[in-house]
Amino acid sequence: MSRHAESPTARAGTRRRWLEFLRPISTTQAFVLGISVWVIFFAAWEFVTLRGMVNPLLVPRAQDVILALYDLLANRGFAVDIGVSILRILGSFLAACLIAIPLGVLMGSFRAVEAFANPFVSAWRYLPAPAFIPILLAWFGTGEEPKIALLFLGVIWFLITLIMDHTRNIRDELLETAMTLGASRAQILWTVVVPAVLPNILVSMRQMLAIAWTYLVIAEIIAATNGIGAVMWRARRFLDTDEILAGILVIGVLGLLFDLLFRWLHHVLFPYLSRTGQ
Amino acid sequence: MNQATQARTTAGAHAKLVLEDVGKVFQLRKGEQIEAIKDVSFSMKENEVCVILGPSGCGKSTVLRMVAGLDDPTSGRLLLDGREIGGPGSDRGMVFQTYTSFDWQTVQTNVEYGMRLNGVPKKERREKAAHYIELVGLSRFADAYPKQLSGGMKQRVAIARTLANDPELVLMDEPFGALDAQTRWHMQELMMSIVESTRTSVLMVTHDIEEAIFLADRIEFMSRHPGSILEEIVPAFKKGKRVTRKEQLLDLDGFGDLERHVMKLMREQGGDEATPAERA
Repeated sequence: MSRHAESPTARAGTRRRWLEFLRPISTTQAFVLGISVWVIFFAAWEFVTLRGMVNPLLVPRAQDVILALYDLLANRGFAVDIGVSILRILGSFLAACLIAIPLGVLMGSFRAVEAFANPFVSAWRYLPAPAFIPILLAWFGTGEEPKIALLFLGVIWFLITLIMDHTRNIRDELLETAMTLGASRAQILWTVVVPAVLPNILVSMRQMLAIAWTYLVIAEIIAATNGIGAVMWRARRFLDTDEILAGILVIGVLGLLFDLLFRWLHHVLFPYLSRTGQ
Repeated sequence: MNQATQARTTAGAHAKLVLEDVGKVFQLRKGEQIEAIKDVSFSMKENEVCVILGPSGCGKSTVLRMVAGLDDPTSGRLLLDGREIGGPGSDRGMVFQTYTSFDWQTVQTNVEYGMRLNGVPKKERREKAAHYIELVGLSRFADAYPKQLSGGMKQRVAIARTLANDPELVLMDEPFGALDAQTRWHMQELMMSIVESTRTSVLMVTHDIEEAIFLADRIEFMSRHPGSILEEIVPAFKKGKRVTRKEQLLDLDGFGDLERHVMKLMREQGGDEATPAERA
């Protein structure tokens, strides 16, 4: 560790230890450590498969998973399935947001709206969305509707609750300041409440989008002929475990990409939240 | 009570703000009640700096909030320019102890905020905001966002924003309470020079004795349980003139006597809840 001397907390004669409370690590260190965990993971994977410690039919080698993914994409139209899945996510999530954002903000702003809507929203929140699959299938058949509906039901109640809580947590003094400057109710809502809660709405959306992926796979496994989940479920029938793992890999990567997209949006839309204003 | 009654009767045509037997009872659960404020009566004149001083928990902030229209009295009346106060309005701008600058707006747009609400044309808005930003010494930071400012600077933004909106009365609820000693001192002097140059009427709440004596043309000292005006104090030693530098106070005969007197009141009213340090 040649960075030893730079560290303000490292005093002469004090041994530099790996684990230390409250001590930051450099970005290089963080990067190397972040890569290491994957290297260890794949090394362990290779080790157990090469040594024949597991049934190769059930646990394929890492490179077989990559090859299976390539085969799926190049020869079997997997890209279309990925696209279908993404559209299902975006469509249902957008619909959920269109209702949850205004409703959550109004519930957090006005006690009367909360008293009216919260008993309903809370009750739905405790019902597991997959429990509705049989009735959704009965209502909508096997088209896109039941999948969209399941995803919608899976995220909307939590999204409403999160946004309501964030709105309620806006400090009273901000609203009162606006009142003593002569703001009307509508002006307070649009010029204080909405801009104050917007960054947190984006954070809530980011959190709930991750949940949406969970419901997507459930929906596609149970009632779909296309989409990532359907491809994985079909692969199970022929014990193509490499294809199942390829599907999981794709979902993981997509989840990560969406998460990064939201982080980037937060950074771009709300530059004033950082101390440098950049 | 004597002084309070007197204040009410002298509240004539010149009174900017009049409080008449204002009381506030908070309803707790299980039908319990707490009488926070009882029979608070006083009045203040145009261009006057009036400071409500008292021990913690005496209800002085509640009085200020009722003047702002943010809380309703359960008894009595509050009159601004002879009209009863029925809710918050732009004629009574308030500066809070906590920081209230809007994170998503620059210093400039923060200060313009009230004027934008009230439909002041863009050009006038911009010029006026620039004037008040200069007055509080933040011209260099007009395009900065609040997150980039120190606590004292954020409070200056709040003061500029309130003044730029042309209120009849500026209300301040321990505006310098969250600041460190040095910054607070600067802000008090800044406040004094702004009040002198803008002829603004100010009603301020504090528990800082020295701050009260330095800033006030008149001090309303409140007692506790329930809060009411115990004594009205006019710092006569200033001889009707305002002091703009804090050390000038020390040179004036009578400052020490007044401070001693107010400290005695504070100790008596501080009661059992006050620690020795608080009372000192």
